[in-house]
Amino acid sequence: MMGRVLQKVGTGFSWICAILLLGTVFCMVGYLVINGLSTINITLIFGETDPMDALLFRKQVFDGLFPAIIGTFALVALSVSFAVPIGLAAGIYMAEYCRGTLKKVFSLFFDVLAGIPSIVVGLFGFSVAIFLHKYFSSKIYPCLFISALSLAFLVLPYLIRTTQISLENLPEGIRRTAPALGATKLQNIFYVMIPRSLSGIASGVILSIGRCAEDTAVIMLTGVVATSGVPKSVFSNYEALPFYIYYISSQYSDKQELLSGYGAAIILLVICGLLFMAAFFVKHRLTHHALYRP
Amino acid sequence: MKLVEHFAEKFFWFAAVLSLAVTILIFGFMVILGLPLFKGGQFFDLLSKPWLPDHDTLGIYPMIVGTLSISLLGLGFAFPLSLGCSAFISVLGPKGLSKILKKTVQLMTGIPTVIYGFVGIFLLVPIIREVFERGSGMCILSASFLLCILVCPTMILFFTDSFDQVPKSFLDAVDALGGNKAQKILYVILPYSWRGILTGLILALGRAMGDTMIALMVAGNAVALPDSVLDSARTLTAHIALVIAADFESLEFKTLFACGIILYLFTTVIALSVRSIESKPWRKK
Amino acid sequence: MTKTYIRVLFICCAVCFFVSPCFSSTLDTFEGQSGTIKISGGTAHIPVMKEAAKRIITFNSDIQISIAGGGSGVGIKQVGEGLVDIGNSGRAPTDEEINKYQLKMFKWAIDGVGVVVNPKNNVKSLIKTQLVDIFSGKITNWKDLGGLDKTINVYTRDKASGTRAVFWKKALDKGEITDKANFVVSNGAMKSAISNDPYGIGYVSVGHIDESVAPVALDGVVPTLENVKQGKYKIARGLYSNTKGEPSGLTKKFIEYLFSNEGQQIAADKGFIPVK
Repeated sequence: MMGRVLQKVGTGFSWICAILLLGTVFCMVGYLVINGLSTINITLIFGETDPMDALLFRKQVFDGLFPAIIGTFALVALSVSFAVPIGLAAGIYMAEYCRGTLKKVFSLFFDVLAGIPSIVVGLFGFSVAIFLHKYFSSKIYPCLFISALSLAFLVLPYLIRTTQISLENLPEGIRRTAPALGATKLQNIFYVMIPRSLSGIASGVILSIGRCAEDTAVIMLTGVVATSGVPKSVFSNYEALPFYIYYISSQYSDKQELLSGYGAAIILLVICGLLFMAAFFVKHRLTHHALYRP
Repeated sequence: MKLVEHFAEKFFWFAAVLSLAVTILIFGFMVILGLPLFKGGQFFDLLSKPWLPDHDTLGIYPMIVGTLSISLLGLGFAFPLSLGCSAFISVLGPKGLSKILKKTVQLMTGIPTVIYGFVGIFLLVPIIREVFERGSGMCILSASFLLCILVCPTMILFFTDSFDQVPKSFLDAVDALGGNKAQKILYVILPYSWRGILTGLILALGRAMGDTMIALMVAGNAVALPDSVLDSARTLTAHIALVIAADFESLEFKTLFACGIILYLFTTVIALSVRSIESKPWRKK
Repeated sequence: MTKTYIRVLFICCAVCFFVSPCFSSTLDTFEGQSGTIKISGGTAHIPVMKEAAKRIITFNSDIQISIAGGGSGVGIKQVGEGLVDIGNSGRAPTDEEINKYQLKMFKWAIDGVGVVVNPKNNVKSLIKTQLVDIFSGKITNWKDLGGLDKTINVYTRDKASGTRAVFWKKALDKGEITDKANFVVSNGAMKSAISNDPYGIGYVSVGHIDESVAPVALDGVVPTLENVKQGKYKIARGLYSNTKGEPSGLTKKFIEYLFSNEGQQIAADKGFIPVK
């Protein structure tokens, strides 16, 4: 009898959970969309400046999201270009060249790196910047470069792990064919294994892009500011979308600014959502391609 | 050819060592820059005293309590919710709805935490303030609710993955014996996947403790030791974000490195415990 | 008669000639310039900084100006360390700070710090002892002040804030601020917090007060611009921009712009009292 009751309760409970979760998500997104959709227009992004002037960097944009969007793009591009070579290479090392206790040690350290809170990484980046400022060159201060470096540290473990897992999940047959035909280890990796695991690796890269685009804690400590226009150099301050959202939420001067915060939130959500779906798509589509290539 | 091979291997090795070095360096920086705190055993005082800079007492104890209470409460909400949802997705729900739920959960992992904080400030905080009629609405409870929604997707995906790893023969056995879906999940799947569930729980705890934006925006950031869940509190992570603006030669700033060290140690403990769970032998019933 | 006339005319011309440099520092000085100005510090200054930056950059887009907040303490520290070109502060730098960093201070506006509550709150006037007790946590319920039966939610700023330093010294007579207070990071954040919390109380720059918050009279004097100007409202402070050593180049031009007619007009528009 108790068993029956337990089953009924269990089933009911899981239904409630599912509905609760779905409901909460729809409420959140719905709230943002309802409040912010009306602000999504050219003025939100470009302020009073003519879009063509802004896009060609002829004129600066004030009261618009354009500098923040450009800042986010620049940040993501820079940090991914730092992280991808190192992450991919380290992942290949872990999957192919590393064995035994050494592998366990490396694994543990990478797990720790993956778990470090983003604010601690930001604190590290800030300390490095101040350290360099004092002892190397007084031109270095928290800036785009430092932020990109810190973000690269943040996403490195994801890249290593996804590369490692994609490579390790290849069937033994694929792994052994090329060497059996006389290929070297490196040739095997580059001509056979990586193309086969490209989908997993690519989805890992796209997810890292998403992580860089959305992070606030790291950039808050390493060089993002509320107002700076489009960054002119890698060593300058910059604006970014997630920081804009945080800043507006805590200190908006009028209703208009608050609404622009909603608009920015929607834009950020859309960017992250698109990146995520792209990762998913790539993972499945590339697999299809790779396996069915004639 | 051999040379290229050799260089390539060295390059890969170098990349791995560089990543390792970064992990150690982060810890190293925290310790070296926080060194003044270790002199005279101040570090352990730090961990038990309250934060009153005007009285020269720089203790981060209230922040530790803040982090633990918000994370544990958030996890307390999230664990049953995730368990229920994963059960729904894997077994109990109708096919179509399960798929929708799973896709939604996957998309949710991409939502930035600053968005949770943003919605929290304008939607959740006034509700909490009016419903409970106490405090400003910026409290441990609000932060825990938001944290719960933050960690649920990761936990759900983890749980469903481990549920999917139950051998098909077990599930077939339940069907063969005439069991229904609820019995399948309660008596077979859950006990078998205890390892995955525990790992997911611990990783979610790590995520909850390390989150900055939700606590910063919604928990109020008061320095007092919180008495109830409706009190404003400050977490270690929010503390770092707030004090970063202070004079970085001062002792106050150095306490940030103490916060960093504690968070780092939490992370390491979590990584180690996950490892040890995975290496435990499967208990034969 | 003509001789006197000519003398007067000559003196007028001489005066105009020597005085004109003071009035010519409008945007023209930024013609043909390029470079970066980094500004950080007091959050009260930000609206003026933003407007000035907007005008300068619109005039000459080769100049880049980045503005961060952080509070007066941050501004002083960062300009002293050479991390920014101009550090704003809402309080005068201490002698210690001036000596350590060789700061040069430029006061370009006067502001006050006023107590604010939510517009829905009917408690609009307090005496000093009540204020001290509220912020120290002795008085915890609005009903003790003639308001609703709800707990008072105190909001305060962090230690780097010049607004806080002035408020603590002049309004609270260096009294305690309860550790149960919620922390906000800037004047703007204080305004948002109070306007969203019907039972909150906090303090903010007088120039920032608008319809979203209600000023509270202290000992009978309402914190308005007029009262600060006339000296009736005692909790006043200057808005300073500090540089490390004598400013030069773009930084110098920016500071001169703040003191120009246009700059002072911007300060007045944003709700502060210009010094000229």
